[in-house]
Amino acid sequence: MADQLYLENIDEFVTDQNKIVTYKWLSYTLGVHVNQAKQMLYDYVERKRKENSGAQLHVTYLVSGSLIQNGHSCHKVAVVREDKLEAVKSKLAVTASIHVYSIQKAMLKDSGPLFNTDYDILKSNLQNCSKFSAIQCAAAVPRAPAESSSSSKKFEQSHLHMSSETQANNELTTNGHGPPASKQVSQQPKGIMGMFASKAAAKTQETNKETKTEAKEVTNASAAGNKAPGKGNMMSNFFGKAAMNKFKVNLDSEQAVKEEKIVEQPTVSVTEPKLATPAGLKKSSKKAEPVKVLQKEKKRGKRVALSDDETKETENMRKKRRRIKLPESDSSEDEDSPGAYEAESPSPPPPPSPPLEPVPKTEPEPPSVKSSSGENKRKRKRVLKSKTYLDGEGCIVTEKVYESESCTDSEEELNMKTSSVHRPPAMTVKKEPREERKGPKKGTAALGKANRQVSITGFFQRK
Amino acid sequence: MTTLTRQDLNFGQVVADVLCEFLEVAVHLILYVREVYPVGIFQKRKKYNVPVQMSCHPELNQYIQDTLHCVKPLLEKNDVEKVVVVILDKEHRPVEKFVFEITQPPLLSIRSASRLDACGGGEGASVMGRPPLTPSSDSLLSHVEQLLRAFILKISVCDAVLDHNPPGCTFTVLVHTREAATRNMEKIQVIKDFPWILADEQDVHMHDPRLIPLKTMTSDILKMQLYVEERAHKGS
Repeated sequence: MADQLYLENIDEFVTDQNKIVTYKWLSYTLGVHVNQAKQMLYDYVERKRKENSGAQLHVTYLVSGSLIQNGHSCHKVAVVREDKLEAVKSKLAVTASIHVYSIQKAMLKDSGPLFNTDYDILKSNLQNCSKFSAIQCAAAVPRAPAESSSSSKKFEQSHLHMSSETQANNELTTNGHGPPASKQVSQQPKGIMGMFASKAAAKTQETNKETKTEAKEVTNASAAGNKAPGKGNMMSNFFGKAAMNKFKVNLDSEQAVKEEKIVEQPTVSVTEPKLATPAGLKKSSKKAEPVKVLQKEKKRGKRVALSDDETKETENMRKKRRRIKLPESDSSEDEDSPGAYEAESPSPPPPPSPPLEPVPKTEPEPPSVKSSSGENKRKRKRVLKSKTYLDGEGCIVTEKVYESESCTDSEEELNMKTSSVHRPPAMTVKKEPREERKGPKKGTAALGKANRQVSITGFFQRK
Repeated sequence: MTTLTRQDLNFGQVVADVLCEFLEVAVHLILYVREVYPVGIFQKRKKYNVPVQMSCHPELNQYIQDTLHCVKPLLEKNDVEKVVVVILDKEHRPVEKFVFEITQPPLLSIRSASRLDACGGGEGASVMGRPPLTPSSDSLLSHVEQLLRAFILKISVCDAVLDHNPPGCTFTVLVHTREAATRNMEKIQVIKDFPWILADEQDVHMHDPRLIPLKTMTSDILKMQLYVEERAHKGS
C-alpha cells in the first residue's frame, strides 16, 4: 500500500501542479535513492500509458553509451526526448544505460527548464547533495586548505587546457544546435561556459565536452560496458543494478588515481560511473559538486586555518615568552629575598580573582619549570580564554590566556601571563605570576572556568 | 523589526530595476514558448543562474527594451497595476494575455532576524547590530531571485495548460496604470521618443476568456501574480 503512495505523489506533481518531475528532484523530495526514483518514474509512465487515460505525458530519457565518430570511440551521454530515443540508441555502438530522466505534461522545447527544476532543490540540499546519489568514490576526501590555493591555480590551467580541447572536440560532438526539438549535446562554446559557471548551462551540453578526455578511458569503459547487461534492453538496466555496481567499483579504482589532479578531472572521472548510474547526466551538477566541495573545503579550511593561525600565534607567544623569560627570571631572583611578600600575597586574594588561590609553591621551581615548558615542544591544544580578575591594585584586568588542555595547564597559564600587556606597574606584574604559580593546577583550572568569558574562538576547538 | 517607507533607501528604484529585468526576460521567454517568432532567433542566455531563451534580433530587442524603459518610471512610483503581454492573431484580436499583476507594499517592513535566517542564513546576528538592509538586502534579493526563477520555470511549462496559437501572431505590451499616472506618461514619452497610445477597447477586451493562473509570489519588496487569459476559441 505504501508503494502506491509514490504513484499518487508523482501524479499530483505532474498532472495537478504541472511540474517537471526529474528523477533527481523526486529523490530529494521523497527522500529516496536516485535509482529508486528512476524506478518510480518508470513505473508511473508504464501505468499511465497502460491506462491510456488521455492525459498526455512527455518523457525524457538519459541515454549513455559508446559511439564511434570519425574513427574515434567516445562515450556519449545525452538527455533525449522520447521521440528521439530510438534514433539516438541506434547510433550508439554499445548502449550502456537508459533510464527515465523526467516526466512532464508540457512538451519541452529545450533543456533549460530541466536544469531550472533541479537548481533550487539542489541549492537547498547543498550540504547533503550526495545523500541519495549513486555516485560514490572512496578516494574523494576533502582537501587540506594548503592544497586548495594550489588547486585554484590548477583550475585556471585546466580552463585553458579545456578550451584547447574543446576546439578538437568540435569534430566529435553531435550538432544539437539546429533542431530545437533535439536535446542532444550542442556546441562547445556553451560547454566552456558551463565549466566554471557551475550552474550556468544546461546539463546535456556539457556532457560531450568530456568525450576527448574520456577517449582514453573509454576502452576501460566499453570493456566494462560489456559486462553491463544494458545492451539495447531498457528493462534490464533497471534490474541490472548489481552488475552496475560491480562496474562502478572497477571504475572507482581507476578514478582514485585521478582524484588528486586538476579540478576538472573529478568531473571527468565521475562521468564514468554514468555508465553504471546515469546520475552523471548533469555536467553542471558535476561542476557544482567540485565547486561545492571546494566551498566546503574552504569552510573547513577556514576553521583549520584558524586553528593553524592559533598554533602559529602560540608559537609566537612561545618565542615571546622565551625572550621575556630572561628578565623574568632575573626579577624573580630579585624577589627571592622578600619572602614575606610571597607569603602574604597569596593570603588576601580578592574574592573575584580566582587564579590567585593560595597554595604555596617553592620559589625556585617556577623559573625552571617555565624554562622547561617554554622549550617544551609538545603539542597541546591551546584554548584562548579570557580571564578577568582584580589585581592587587583593585583594577580589573582581563587577560587572554592560552590554556593548554593537558595536565601542565597551570604552567602554561603562567607563561602566558607573563607576556600579557595589561599590567603597567612592574611590581604587580611580578607579584601576580608568582601568585598564580602558587595556585594549584586544579584550583586555577576550575576557578578559571567559573569566571572566564566565553571566547569567540572557543567553538573552533569544540568537536 | 524595522519599518521603512518607500522613500527610504531608494527601494522604489531597486524594485523597479528588478522588475524591469524580470519582465524583459519574461517577455522574451513568452515569445519563445508561444512561438510568436521562429525559434531560430533565440539563443540561450543566463539569468538568475538558469538558462533562458533570449532573442538575438536587434529590432525586437530594442522594442522590448524601450517598452520597459518607459514602464520603469511608473514602477518606481508604484503607479503600475499590471503589465500585460498580449498575443494577437492576424486580425489583431487578442488570443492570449499574460498578465503580470504587480503590487508593491507602501511600507517596507524588514522582518526580524529569524526570517532572514531562513532566506540567507547566518545574517541574523549582524542585522541586530548594524543599520538594516545592507546585510539583509542580499538575502532578500536572493530570495526574490529564487521566486523569479520559479516564474520563469512556470512560463516554460505553460504549454501544457494552453492551447496552440494560430499562426501569424503578433504581440504587444499593455500597461494598466492607476488613475493619475497617464498624465505623467505623456511627459515621459515625449522625452524618450517612444510613443505610447491609450489602448483601444478591442485590444483590451477579449471575448469569452478563460483564466489560467500560473504563479504567485510574495516577498517583502514585491508581490506579483501571473495568470493567462485565453480566448476559448482561438481559431486557426
